[in-house]
Amino acid sequence: MNVNYYPGCSLHGTANEYHTGVLAVFRALGVNPVELDDWNCCGASSAHVMNPQAAWELPARNLLIASRGEGPLLTPCAACFHRLKLCRDHLEKRPEDHPHSEAITRVEVVHINEMLLKEEVRRKIVEKVTTPLTGLRVVPYYGCLTVRPPGAVNHPRPEDPLEMDQVLNLLQADVVNWSYKTDCCGGSLAMTRPDVVRRLSGNLFEAAREAGGEIIVTACPMCQANLDTRQKQIERERNTSFRIPVVYITELVALAMRLPETDALWRKHHVDPLPVLRGKGWAA
Amino acid sequence: MNDNPDHNNKVGAVLVAGAGIGGMQAAIELGNAGYKVYLVEEKSAIGGRMAQLDKTFPTNDCSMCTISPRLVDVDKHPNVEILTNSEILEVDGDAGNFRARILKHPRYVDMEKCNACGDCFEVCPVEIPDEFDEGLGLRKAIHKLYPQAIPNKAAIRKTGVSPCRAACPSNVHVQGYLALARVGKYKEALNLIRKDCALPSVCGRVCVRFCEDKCVRGRVDESVAINDVKWFLSEQETDGDLPEKAPPRNRKVAVVGAGPGGLSCAYYLTLQGYSVTVFEKEEEPGGVLHYGIPEYRLPKAILRRDIDHIERCGAEIRCSTSLGKDLSLQDLRDQGHEAVFLAVGCSTGAKLGIPGEDTLGVTQGIDFLKAVAQGKETKPPGKALVIGGGNVAVDAARTLIRTRAENVTILYRRSRDEMPAYEEEVIAALEERVRIEFLAAPVEIVSDNGNMVTGLKCIRMELGPPDRSGRRRPVPIENSEFTVDADMIVPAIGQIIGRDFWDKLPEIERTRRNTIKVDPITYATSIEGVFAGGDAGTGPGTVIEALAAGKEAAESIRRFLEGEDLSAGRDVQQPVAERDVEGVGPVARNRKQEVAAEQRKGNFEETHIGFDEDAVKAETERCLNCGICSECLECVRVCSPKAICHDELQEEITLDVGSVILIPGFDTFNAELKGEYGYGRIPNVMTSMEFERLLSASGPTEGEVRRPSDGRHPEKIAWIQCVGSRDVTCNRDYCSSVCCMYATKEAIMAREHDSRIQPTIFYNDMRAFGKGFEFYYENASTNIGVRYIKGIVSTVKEEQQTRDLKLTFVGEDGAMTTETFDLVVLSVGLEPSASTGKLGERCGIDLNRFGFAETGEFTPNQTSRPGIFVAGAFEAPMDIPESVMGAASAAALSGELLAEVRKTLVKEKTFTRERDVSKEEPRIGVFVCHCGTNIARIVDVSEVAEYAATLPNVVHTEHNLFTCSTDTTVAIADTIQEKQINRLVVGSCSPRTHEPLFRDVCSEAGINKYLFEMANIRDQCSWVHQEEPEQATVKSKDLIRMAISRAAGLEPIQEHTFPVVPRGLVVGGGVGGMTAALSLADQGFEAVLVERESRLGGAALNLRRSLTGLNVPALVDELRDRIMSHPKITALLDTEPTECSGHVGRFSFKARNRKTGEESDIESGAIIVATGGSEYEPTEYLRGQSDQVWTQTELDRYLHDEPARMEGVKNVVMIQCVGSREPDHLYCSRVCCGTAIKNALALKERDPSFNIYILFRDIRTYGFKELFYRKAREAGVIFLRYDPDRKPVVDEDRGRLKVTVFDQILGGEVELPADRVVLSAAIRPHPETESFGALLKIPRNDAGFFMEAHMKLRPLDFASEGIYLCGLAHGPKYISEALAQAKGAAARAATVLSKELLQVSGEVSVVDPELCASCLTCVRACPFNVPQIDPTTNRAHIEAASCQGCGICASVCPRKAIKLQHHTDKQTLAKIAAL
Repeated sequence: MNVNYYPGCSLHGTANEYHTGVLAVFRALGVNPVELDDWNCCGASSAHVMNPQAAWELPARNLLIASRGEGPLLTPCAACFHRLKLCRDHLEKRPEDHPHSEAITRVEVVHINEMLLKEEVRRKIVEKVTTPLTGLRVVPYYGCLTVRPPGAVNHPRPEDPLEMDQVLNLLQADVVNWSYKTDCCGGSLAMTRPDVVRRLSGNLFEAAREAGGEIIVTACPMCQANLDTRQKQIERERNTSFRIPVVYITELVALAMRLPETDALWRKHHVDPLPVLRGKGWAA
Repeated sequence: MNDNPDHNNKVGAVLVAGAGIGGMQAAIELGNAGYKVYLVEEKSAIGGRMAQLDKTFPTNDCSMCTISPRLVDVDKHPNVEILTNSEILEVDGDAGNFRARILKHPRYVDMEKCNACGDCFEVCPVEIPDEFDEGLGLRKAIHKLYPQAIPNKAAIRKTGVSPCRAACPSNVHVQGYLALARVGKYKEALNLIRKDCALPSVCGRVCVRFCEDKCVRGRVDESVAINDVKWFLSEQETDGDLPEKAPPRNRKVAVVGAGPGGLSCAYYLTLQGYSVTVFEKEEEPGGVLHYGIPEYRLPKAILRRDIDHIERCGAEIRCSTSLGKDLSLQDLRDQGHEAVFLAVGCSTGAKLGIPGEDTLGVTQGIDFLKAVAQGKETKPPGKALVIGGGNVAVDAARTLIRTRAENVTILYRRSRDEMPAYEEEVIAALEERVRIEFLAAPVEIVSDNGNMVTGLKCIRMELGPPDRSGRRRPVPIENSEFTVDADMIVPAIGQIIGRDFWDKLPEIERTRRNTIKVDPITYATSIEGVFAGGDAGTGPGTVIEALAAGKEAAESIRRFLEGEDLSAGRDVQQPVAERDVEGVGPVARNRKQEVAAEQRKGNFEETHIGFDEDAVKAETERCLNCGICSECLECVRVCSPKAICHDELQEEITLDVGSVILIPGFDTFNAELKGEYGYGRIPNVMTSMEFERLLSASGPTEGEVRRPSDGRHPEKIAWIQCVGSRDVTCNRDYCSSVCCMYATKEAIMAREHDSRIQPTIFYNDMRAFGKGFEFYYENASTNIGVRYIKGIVSTVKEEQQTRDLKLTFVGEDGAMTTETFDLVVLSVGLEPSASTGKLGERCGIDLNRFGFAETGEFTPNQTSRPGIFVAGAFEAPMDIPESVMGAASAAALSGELLAEVRKTLVKEKTFTRERDVSKEEPRIGVFVCHCGTNIARIVDVSEVAEYAATLPNVVHTEHNLFTCSTDTTVAIADTIQEKQINRLVVGSCSPRTHEPLFRDVCSEAGINKYLFEMANIRDQCSWVHQEEPEQATVKSKDLIRMAISRAAGLEPIQEHTFPVVPRGLVVGGGVGGMTAALSLADQGFEAVLVERESRLGGAALNLRRSLTGLNVPALVDELRDRIMSHPKITALLDTEPTECSGHVGRFSFKARNRKTGEESDIESGAIIVATGGSEYEPTEYLRGQSDQVWTQTELDRYLHDEPARMEGVKNVVMIQCVGSREPDHLYCSRVCCGTAIKNALALKERDPSFNIYILFRDIRTYGFKELFYRKAREAGVIFLRYDPDRKPVVDEDRGRLKVTVFDQILGGEVELPADRVVLSAAIRPHPETESFGALLKIPRNDAGFFMEAHMKLRPLDFASEGIYLCGLAHGPKYISEALAQAKGAAARAATVLSKELLQVSGEVSVVDPELCASCLTCVRACPFNVPQIDPTTNRAHIEAASCQGCGICASVCPRKAIKLQHHTDKQTLAKIAAL
């Protein structure tokens, strides 16, 4: 099955390991992500705050390209997902703003978790899991962009999303229960107020540790970057040691399915996941 | 009003929908007033929400104790018919004459037969969340809603037939045997399978498993391994186990063919007691199971096990006997067989239809398999070619592998996807190195000159469009022929009935498909008495289809032999259950162990190893219980009265009624919608309703407060208010009215249960507006230690290690704070119950945007459709007393509509002549009840009965399975007459529920009903002493002996009756009094209205507009006009009462005209007190010193009557709670917040530039009044909260007013310029309340308002019967509430006035005037003010009609001059002496 694929800038850059994971996992599951031809910026970084029109025009172009392709539009980056969803919401309410509103709003924008939970994909996962992640205490961290605003992104449980938990259940991981799934990591202040980011992200580490988590899993390149790259500094500031690796959901799916092409990805993390995986006997 | 010319068509019956406290109230009022009532309830029992509550505020009475007598009243009311599990489908017709269609959902329990013994609850294997306990505990699929449930009958929760059972051709109870297997009842599970499947071991191995295809679990991950569980269960058999069998009938039936169809038919006929002989042409029974299915899939020993069972049950199998060859149909008849079942199968392989098919080396698949099964030597071929894609083809291929063929290929004309063989068989074949050549069809057999096969010429195929079977049709590709080498060719493309069969039975009709023509339901053939099924009847099918045919044919043959209709009732389909898989997590399916391909290839050993017990346990746990009830039939097995009927279908009935009252109650807000509080995912966050169950003694923890997560006793508990109330974000911007008080109650009760608990309530405004609420709230915060924090909680986070909860909130100081609690209770709001939207539509009434019924402010309880009334929380969120008043009001509205057809549809009580037993020696009959096994399981009932026989005066004893069953009570009455018994003693359950029944038995048997005594040996013996059966028996004997001793001294009591004065007296001519008088008159009774002023209207005369803008003077005028012109009403103005005497049904009243001094005498059957209230005249805030300080009433009046007074006014400051909520007046005046907002909005409407400040303590705009509070804020009215310790100060400076108030948010004083200060003055009781109360001897509360009989359930009554209450005399309230209460009081009065005669209970106190010393002790002690000193005799007199039978006077009388009849000292002492 072919699907439209919109990697966005992160997956081609800082979140390259996410990109590699997405392709490996979905191909193994019988889904072929076809990258949009000539895609452009989604507007998440600065465009949407600088120019309200650009905020929906940029994603509209990507959606229009997708409308000519096959299947839903798979969007692994939470920020891209958010922009695309908001653009659709805008054009659903004001179709007169764009000559191709009808085609644009027809495109189904799916996030990585939703895609993994589609009936046929889910069944494939059940079939292909060869290393059940039993005993791995995973903390699912969703962040904000895939659930808010609930009306526009159409999320039924914005305070307690369950999609990633369900994927982890399919991998037979021990999903850690905690109350901070959608608490802010400080992402939008990453450049301007890193002190705030460190405070908010630090609170998340405290909560994850309190919950007994061994590893944090996310599906957002911004969350991943914040939590992974700043962890050492937060540890110094708080005079403690968390050592909680922060990985992408695709990496855990790949691990459970034993996809060899993802083995090299672990080295890309600042907080090394290998000690945890070695402890379970899943890495050399 | 009642001049409708069509009144003759009116129906004297009322449909009340919803049997909570409101529904019960309406039903009883109407039943007592002479109407037939149908009480329709969706649940299996009545009682509604109140039954779920622990205690009620503000009296902390036990909720269940309060309502259970009412449950019993409704249950035994002769005019009330309860319809449970029922809903309204449609209401057609007009006011006075409606036709309602009612859907009765099946209960699956026959209410006539069920005795609620509870045996079924114990054996039921299905546990589901107990909805009565809000899901905190578990209950069984067969259950009673709660222990005190009425009707006291079991009910089964079943959403339909489970999809697995529905999918099974033979209807095997799949969910049932999985449920039984889960609890380890393997033998029962196997018996259940056998009920519908004669060959469980066979099916456990080779069944095609339609059930698994439909298994809902498959939508989550994979279907339950149903067959593997069946395999396991089939191994659990021991030789001795035989199912129950009917007695032999000595009638013979022949079955031809011992395949699955024949065996099945023989089995079920044998169990029915028929003599069955099975004729089988082969040497071994089993048919295709023996000769067709290879041994590695179905070992012969396993098949033999199932056949042995059938033989042990009595079926005879005669092998090597062929129909046609050895005997004919006529032979069978001649041998005495009255019916025949033909199950001859299809044992001839279908031809390929290509050249060369008769060549040596071509063997039909089934012939080959048969030869192998018979152990005939077959020469192993080199290259074998099997043609076909079905199971026979794969079986043949795998068998060839096992018979050492070198090379086996299957040739199939379509692709893998279309292959009909079982997927796992195909995989196993491939593993065993069978090759499959897809998309190739045979063209011609190739041979060496026609002698021996050498190969097959084939042609390539491609798939075309789908054919009729839905599979894509294979189409040959031209010129693609090729040849495959083979020395054996095995066609396996299908089977037919062989030609020889038709030759033998030419007379039987066939189908075009060359099978026997049979009826699809009865399996009857064209020959009478001959039935056919299985492959021969319906064409080649599966084993389970053949078994189903055999089973059904057995039923047909039974009917045929017994002369019953063959098809009646057999095509009825029960609905299939639908199961939602939302939230169901995946659990891996267990798999049987498979022998490795290399090990299994060369032999016929079974290829799989069945499940062990652990796997069965794990696998059965995966079942989702789709139908809820699993239909395991265990309840049927243990039910001694045979009350269970699993096949019950829903039923539609029609009711003709004159009016409809809808009181469906409420649901609580789904707290999961407020995700920030974590309900549904954080275990220690619970709803208030759940907490209610936690507090309840009958709840899941028996009243112990424990946290759900770990069972620990919580100490810090937080309540969060307004969850789903006053919240626009979830479309619930109204206030739910009751949460502030119930949270306070729960906090108080929690502390009472466990003094370590520290409750905290987070609230927005504390809405303690009802009678007694303010005191309750004050007491909770100052004396009991409930901490109240005004502030909204933003999030609840859970600590994972401790499971404690961190609450973040902004308190009154404005700082964000986080505090940790052990448990959080969400005070969830009230909303219309889920079904009310549907209900509104079906009844054709308007609902508001929230789904509540639309009613008018001045027409409460009246919907948009005449004749359909509403009450309770369907009208607006409300408390119990308001619901009760509203229900009574709706009853009054029905009574007004149906006055002329009162008593047209009700039963009159009949009286029988009583035997005079006064001269007889006591002759006591004792009946001891088993209560099914309820008593008998613990107490040795026969021993108790034998013992009773030895006691003095006992002339008859017996023990019965159910003493209360209809047939037993008839027998008891007969015994009483036959043996001249004059005292009846029953040892059974509780007199609370059963005394009336046995008293009726006495009446029927012609003895006085007071000659009955009861011993409760169930509750007090078998229930409380379950662990000590011997002691329980001893105690039962003691209780019986005591009862017998008392019975000997019982005396007949004649009940006294007197005529009722059919006239009502209403005291007070305000809107309440006028409404009550009009309602009485419209209900057909005379009414006298007494008003002390010269003008009717009361307090409402001071009002101009209501909250919703209605015109109050117009309302008063309309009521006054109707009063003055109503022929049945006499209005006495300027009149005040002076004397009152008499009792219910017969009051005498004197009144005097205050102007003329003229006296009048009024006789009435009932009195309605509507004496009203008055506004407090403030002395604070410069009132009286400045003419710019007004009251709200003045502002309302000036705004409409004297607008000039408002000139130049810009700034208005309103001050709330003037004279209310003060230490000496500790009550809330309820209407002031709404009134202030009403007036503020009126001002803003006049000129939006008005600056209006409302200084308040809590804004108490409950219910939909909240919408006006929001509207006022949106209009710019400024609300400032003040602390009662720092009240606002009003100053006047050179004629200008100024108000200074301390603002808590700003933390400083604010000065407000005020052109007018408007005081919200309190409502006080009318000044005459005290003297009038003394006249009627009716009590008042601390605030001076009249005190009703019970704050929750009897808000309209006084303790003295026949006197009712409404309006401000009861307490502060809005006009709309007074109107409803007035109608309610009229409904209460109508229950007395509608009776011609009143009967007084015999259990009353009587004074012996000889002994009475007139000491007044009784006069002072009676709580009902009944005893009086009779001025003619100067002795105490107790009026029987007023006496409540409590016995207090009898116990305090120093000279023992008073005795309470039926409870005399002598009787009690006799009882004690017997102990």
